[in-house]
Amino acid sequence: MAALGGPAIACIGIIGKQDNPLHMSLFPPHNNAAGAYLEFSFLLNASLDIFDLRARDKNRVDQDLGLLHAMDERLSVWGWETGTGTRFAIVLDMYGRSGGEGEASGLGVKEGELRPAFRALQTAYIGLLRNPFYIPDEHTVAAGGVQIKAKGFIKEVERIGMAWKPGITTL
Amino acid sequence: MAAAKAARVGEEVWKTRIDKVNAELVTLTYGTVVAQLCNDYDSNYVEVNKQLDKMGYNIGMRLIEDYFAKSGSQRCANFKETAEAISKIGFKIFLNITPVVSNWSPDGKQFTLTFEENPLADFVELPDDGKAQDELWFSNILTGILRGALEMVQMQIEAHFTSDVLRGDETTEMRVTLLRYMDDELPPDDE
Repeated sequence: MAALGGPAIACIGIIGKQDNPLHMSLFPPHNNAAGAYLEFSFLLNASLDIFDLRARDKNRVDQDLGLLHAMDERLSVWGWETGTGTRFAIVLDMYGRSGGEGEASGLGVKEGELRPAFRALQTAYIGLLRNPFYIPDEHTVAAGGVQIKAKGFIKEVERIGMAWKPGITTL
Repeated sequence: MAAAKAARVGEEVWKTRIDKVNAELVTLTYGTVVAQLCNDYDSNYVEVNKQLDKMGYNIGMRLIEDYFAKSGSQRCANFKETAEAISKIGFKIFLNITPVVSNWSPDGKQFTLTFEENPLADFVELPDDGKAQDELWFSNILTGILRGALEMVQMQIEAHFTSDVLRGDETTEMRVTLLRYMDDELPPDDE
């Protein structure tokens, strides 16, 4: 398989429990595309209802919410909700990093394959919360809903988004 | 030689005589204290440094008693021995780290402690206000602790941080200077 082939992470979103956006990172080839930021914001926004639905599912056993919805043959949104209601969303691009030209690898991504990425995100988020200078209350809707600015955290999110590929077990 | 002995004592005491506590509790507690100070003093970091040092001083003068009780060590013969004891026994038994002693001045009165790890500062990212990176010494409580502890054993020292990985430096280093040995002062009117 070509190095660029295979599904890749297109976007990682961190969403607070009041549906307030905390952070969003875009990855190649989307990070430089015009209008991509808005487009992915809409996409994440559209997945919030499904988050709610899944999270209320009584049979849910863990924080992994699996596939939330598939936009088209290219993009799909996957979710994870922590115990405090903070949500992580990952948008997968089946065309991978090469960005199209009919290069869909045809390889599906199985439930659970994104788990290492979600776990790494959760670890990064815990690290962020442990920073005494990070004030979670600053990010609530009432306080104006500013996004996360911590450089270390953002760098880690970017590392996770770039490093994940199907079949990877640790990140 | 003195270093090896100090290392052995430190290891032994750490293993057998120290009550352990969850590291996150310590890190979070200390972090909260510093963050609160920054808040209370309106990001006047020079003042925050001073307060941390003062708090450390009060800890140090109490902690030294515990240090002697637990380690059973005796008075150090010279300042070099003191440095080894600070690193390999003191820091070892209270924080389970052994900062490296180096960079002695020719007169043997100044040395540098290099902290390869610092449990107080785990996960900390300094505020991005363009000031904290240049002014705040996050772990400044440690300088006060050394000052307070050594003062109780008749050594007047001065200690300050010279670099900190939190500020983007390569290492975290503290410079310690012996100012003088204080004679046991006679109580006033003791004639």
